[in-house]
Amino acid sequence: MISLSYYPGCSLTSSSAFYDRSLRKVLTFYGVRLRELEDWSCCGAAAAPAMNEDLADVLSARNIAIAERSGLHLLAPCSACYARTKAGALKIAGHRRMRELVNETLAPMSVSGSVEVKNIIEAFLEYVGVERIAASAAYDIGSIRAVPYYGCLLTRIMDVPSSDDVEDPSGMDVLLNALGAAVLPWQFKTECCGAGSTVTDSDRTAQLSGRIMTMAQKAGANVIVTTCPLCQLNLDLTVHLRRDLADIPVFFLTEIFELALFGSAAGSKHHLISTADIEGSVEILGGDSA
Amino acid sequence: MPHPSFLDEIETRSGVTVSECYQCCRCTNGCPVARDMGIVPHRVIGHILNGQRDKVLASTSPWKCLQCATCSLRCPNGIDIAHVFETLRQLAIESGLAVKNDVWHFDHLIIDSVARHGRLCELATIIRYRLSKKEFLKDAAMGLDMMKKGRIGLSSHNVRDRKRLGTVIRDMRERRDT
Repeated sequence: MISLSYYPGCSLTSSSAFYDRSLRKVLTFYGVRLRELEDWSCCGAAAAPAMNEDLADVLSARNIAIAERSGLHLLAPCSACYARTKAGALKIAGHRRMRELVNETLAPMSVSGSVEVKNIIEAFLEYVGVERIAASAAYDIGSIRAVPYYGCLLTRIMDVPSSDDVEDPSGMDVLLNALGAAVLPWQFKTECCGAGSTVTDSDRTAQLSGRIMTMAQKAGANVIVTTCPLCQLNLDLTVHLRRDLADIPVFFLTEIFELALFGSAAGSKHHLISTADIEGSVEILGGDSA
Repeated sequence: MPHPSFLDEIETRSGVTVSECYQCCRCTNGCPVARDMGIVPHRVIGHILNGQRDKVLASTSPWKCLQCATCSLRCPNGIDIAHVFETLRQLAIESGLAVKNDVWHFDHLIIDSVARHGRLCELATIIRYRLSKKEFLKDAAMGLDMMKKGRIGLSSHNVRDRKRLGTVIRDMRERRDT
């Protein structure tokens, strides 16, 4: 049994709370224990670094300080939280000025930048393993033709070495294959969904997320799979922002695990684009389909 | 009027060696929003090299950038262009040259929420933004559907240590803003 410290982040406690429940359920199934960071705070996302770099560093440092107390590796499923926290830890470890600034500002908390930060794909690959995942599927999800969508911040973090290819990542492809889904090749794995512009300029999100939906359809997909709560929401919102496009359901990676392990995804009612057709097509493995 | 010191100002503030740029355009080619930028990314960098301070700081480009960092990844000279754009936002505001934009305003509301609660309260922040813009009905159908499907968090989650964190955030903002 492995334990990880866990940083859900703001989205997973509000607009994507069903992602939090989904990943807890799936990781519990595999015997991974999550210990939520005690009194964690917002990572600052894109807003803090655009306004004031020192403030952004302090916000990420606070969560790193909490994580370091446990000595466990830290799981951050939200791409923004992952990017900010991972980049923050490396910067604290490598830059004396920043280390001094954040320790002074946050005292009596102390932080060294030693924590290992993992995203959900890395967590599945490293702590559960592909063989175990392949062996654990109880339902046939072969009807799923998935395009894996990674977005910007999973691999493209400046000054941070990526565990996957930065332009053509494949970690999620491997996991989906292991679960029994068909994974389709496409070129939009790491394109931008429009990020936070959905509030200030929804036409921008309509354009960028709409392009991703269009390309998913052209690739022949009936499912888009992502790990980032903002990407999921923006793509899901195309049902309103782009009525001209076909509706392709946008699942979190852990929901595909739910389908393969349990035959249904508990959070399906929270999807803006209906997931009913996909869920209806899942069958128990070795069962009599007639 | 060119400001020859502008290049120094950008390099010192951002820590990025902009002067290595040889205008290959790879940043612009990869940029998902270049078509909406008044000045496309490689030209922004070119203007920095030529000391065109006012032109760059008054442009819409830093505010159109989504920080996807495709430009930075693909730059053959390792120039972190996305980070330079963050620096440009800060300098544009500080110099009073920034064009009117909603991005800065919304970012402030996000950090306000974090200063108050320790976490982002999505609904309150979006409502504050809509009220300030007098956009009472913008995307209302979309908002209703999100509400119905439980995609908008109604409760705010307060961090226990929020008072101390709030003081830290306000102090750091004042230090920079004044």
